Amino acid sequence: VIERLIEAVRRRADAGDALWHRAERTSIAFESGRVKACGVSEETGVNLRVRRGGRAGIAGTTAGDVEDLVTRALASAELGETVPLEFPPPASAPSVLTHAAAAADASLERLREIGTELVSRTSRDGCQVNVSIEREVGRTAVANTAGAAAAYDSTAVAVSVDLARFAGDDVLFVSDHYSGTDLPTTADLDALVESIALRFVPALTIVAPPDGALPVVFSPSGLSAILLPLEQALSGKGVLQGVSPLGAKLGEKVLDERFSITDDPLLPGRPGSRPVDDEGTPSRRLPLIERGVVRAFVYDLETAARAGTRSTGHGSRGTFGKPHIGYSNWVVGDPPPAGSATRGPLGGGLLGQIADGLLIEDLIGVGQGNVIGGAFSHPVALAYRVQGGAITGRVKDAAVAGNVYELLTRIGGFGSDGRWLGSGWAASLLLDGVAVARR
Amino acid sequence: VKDRLTAALRTSRADYTEIRVEHSWSSSVAFRGQRLESATASEDRGGFVRVLNRGYGWGVASFTSLDRLPAMLARAHELSRAVKLDTPIRLAETTPVTADVTLDLDGDVRGIALAEKKRLLEGYNAEMLAVPGVVDTQASYRDWVTETWYANSEGTVLHQVWPDLTISGTAIARRDGTIEKGLESIGRHKGWHSVQSHAAGFRTVAERAAALLDAPTVKGGSYPVVLDNELAGVFIHEAFGHLSEADFVYENPQAREMMTLGRRFGRPVLNVGDNGAAPGLRGTLPYDDEGTPTQDTPLIRDGVLVGRLHSRETAAALGERPTGNARALSFRHAPIVRMTNTYIANGTGSFEDLIGDIKLGVYACSAFGGQTVLENFSFTAAYGHMIRDGKVAELVKDVVLAGSLFQTLDRIERLAGDFRWNQMGGGCGKGGQFPLPVTEGAPHVRIEQALVGGDVPA
Repeated sequence: VIERLIEAVRRRADAGDALWHRAERTSIAFESGRVKACGVSEETGVNLRVRRGGRAGIAGTTAGDVEDLVTRALASAELGETVPLEFPPPASAPSVLTHAAAAADASLERLREIGTELVSRTSRDGCQVNVSIEREVGRTAVANTAGAAAAYDSTAVAVSVDLARFAGDDVLFVSDHYSGTDLPTTADLDALVESIALRFVPALTIVAPPDGALPVVFSPSGLSAILLPLEQALSGKGVLQGVSPLGAKLGEKVLDERFSITDDPLLPGRPGSRPVDDEGTPSRRLPLIERGVVRAFVYDLETAARAGTRSTGHGSRGTFGKPHIGYSNWVVGDPPPAGSATRGPLGGGLLGQIADGLLIEDLIGVGQGNVIGGAFSHPVALAYRVQGGAITGRVKDAAVAGNVYELLTRIGGFGSDGRWLGSGWAASLLLDGVAVARR
Repeated sequence: VKDRLTAALRTSRADYTEIRVEHSWSSSVAFRGQRLESATASEDRGGFVRVLNRGYGWGVASFTSLDRLPAMLARAHELSRAVKLDTPIRLAETTPVTADVTLDLDGDVRGIALAEKKRLLEGYNAEMLAVPGVVDTQASYRDWVTETWYANSEGTVLHQVWPDLTISGTAIARRDGTIEKGLESIGRHKGWHSVQSHAAGFRTVAERAAALLDAPTVKGGSYPVVLDNELAGVFIHEAFGHLSEADFVYENPQAREMMTLGRRFGRPVLNVGDNGAAPGLRGTLPYDDEGTPTQDTPLIRDGVLVGRLHSRETAAALGERPTGNARALSFRHAPIVRMTNTYIANGTGSFEDLIGDIKLGVYACSAFGGQTVLENFSFTAAYGHMIRDGKVAELVKDVVLAGSLFQTLDRIERLAGDFRWNQMGGGCGKGGQFPLPVTEGAPHVRIEQALVGGDVPA
């Protein structure tokens, strides 16, 4: 399909590129400990971009008529503004492991066994356990009229465990998940089970929250409020539009010198990894913040063309809509050791130095408000009070606030509990002087 | 298509089978600042099959190639038979229906050139850009026409066609390091004619974004709080509505206890419901995605919990009646229990009466976002005003409401008589299905005391 499409584009437009994607997904859901549904889905779609008369246009379809798709893309281009968009020439792409045969070949029964094991190992009296398992087998092909063409197979396995406990009007919700290109190993499953228990048990005791400017440990899952402003600020789009607070700070030290972030599409076995991005640009590892210094912003083809720079290989696209900037694997701190699955203890060894403070696992409302500016203010969803270096119980009615750009200039410490959460890798972070309010 | 569905149904070996085929046409236009980001037209087509065998689980399949229908039916049957259940899944009885429904397309968007749609949005975007202090905007237009065929092995055969159209704009005002935004959002279950005269709304939100640059941050603390229609609607949807979806409670004894019918949830002034049959709203369709007719379902009556939202499965499990709330985002998804048009019913009296005796309070307006984690919620109002001596006073910003649902519902003390539906864009997300078109409606709502965050002490 993609060759025929590129051929049609050569005939009818000046230039163009296309992404073809096929995915077959198998999913099993355990609700309250038992399987209630199994599902499969098959989806094939193609996203096309054309350039004619200096204007770019987009069209997508799952219906599969090549000429109609080109017609719609040309209609879109007629309205478009001019953009000096150039498509990458043929180049050799790096090799990266994106497909695991064991995952692709696993039977429904095998996937179900994983779920049954997790249900039996995480079930507790008075609690509801939901487990879901999803396996995707995909093939992606990308090609353009400049002659670049690449295709690769992929697998992705996601396993999640949610434990909910209702006691009167108190609801306790603990969850964790595994993701990888391969099936979880025994060590991965052990880590998942341990992680649920580690979060659940100390949460059974409810204690009063503290108040004031305090040391707060953000666990890898609690870090999203801290990292989201940086994700937005390091996107070339925000820089181009002049809304990124880091836009004018390339080469400047803006954060603690022990703080680094790298986008790495070449890590083996991660679902975020890829030999080329969705626009055919070969993947490469890209340090974004190195020892507190802003090193790079991420670009896709169009944003790069407008900004007068080159794509960093961060073009991402679905069947419908326009390609946009997307990260691959977002790694905070040191690159992860391969095969490491250990999770405990909570706080990654950072709690010992805290006289009175919090450990944050989950916040409410992350992403609301004016994120890119760095200011945040969120009630806690799951958090623990830390007193005299140890967890004393769960706090409920508390909120934390601060400014990311200020807090990250003086990091109190890095945990030893680095782990993957989806396509992000991070360890716990101790931040001093976070505003904690109780209500 | 109908014949293909009924022929396929005859080949199914399962005890219960349903097939949904969907064809949708959509177009979208987006501006960022002066620049057109994209203008595209898309076509999406696919099918969904769900089967159930007595004593076994659900087998579910979705696909983009309709030629795969017979194979996927067989596969779904196998998947169902792979799961044996001790407690069988039952479906509440419904009467099979045959219907052919085309909602008012009101200027079918498929007949309007993409260039016209671009021109409309460009005009609204220009309204925002013209306001002094506004440095950037985002504007987006999106329309759909969706056609679905549904048939199940009990004899229901449905054909439904409906439009959906949303336009939204964000104005960003900036001075030195301070950035503020204003958000306009329009959503209609109608077509092209319904969105032609909204320039004033876009200008207003842009002017407000500029005004917020000079507004003080609200001083954090506990206040009497009045929610405007929009925020009250978002609140009842997010904080209460999701708990009233029966799939939240039907297999969880503790959650069921928390949501026991007859439990007092608020004062006698409080009436809440969900109405999938309300004419002309985004959550409205004659039949849900299991072929059950939609209806007006009371959830809270005079402060007491009296109902919940059901699919056929949850209704059977709880011995209640299906309410027509099984909805699927598209052929890619199974129907799950969802809200449609959720409301707080009207009160009495004017807005002025409602705030007349508040000495110091907060008037929280419009919503930038809201999140609920079970009984805890956090809502970010787009802007607010202080209420001083019974009057709306100065504009304030960073109004974030946080609290416990149960406490807050119980503190709703008065409702004004100015109910309206908020016909906004966006949609609801649940179980990976986002954005599902819904509407919320409410009058102005007064909460005795609520925690307002803003200026959190550092």
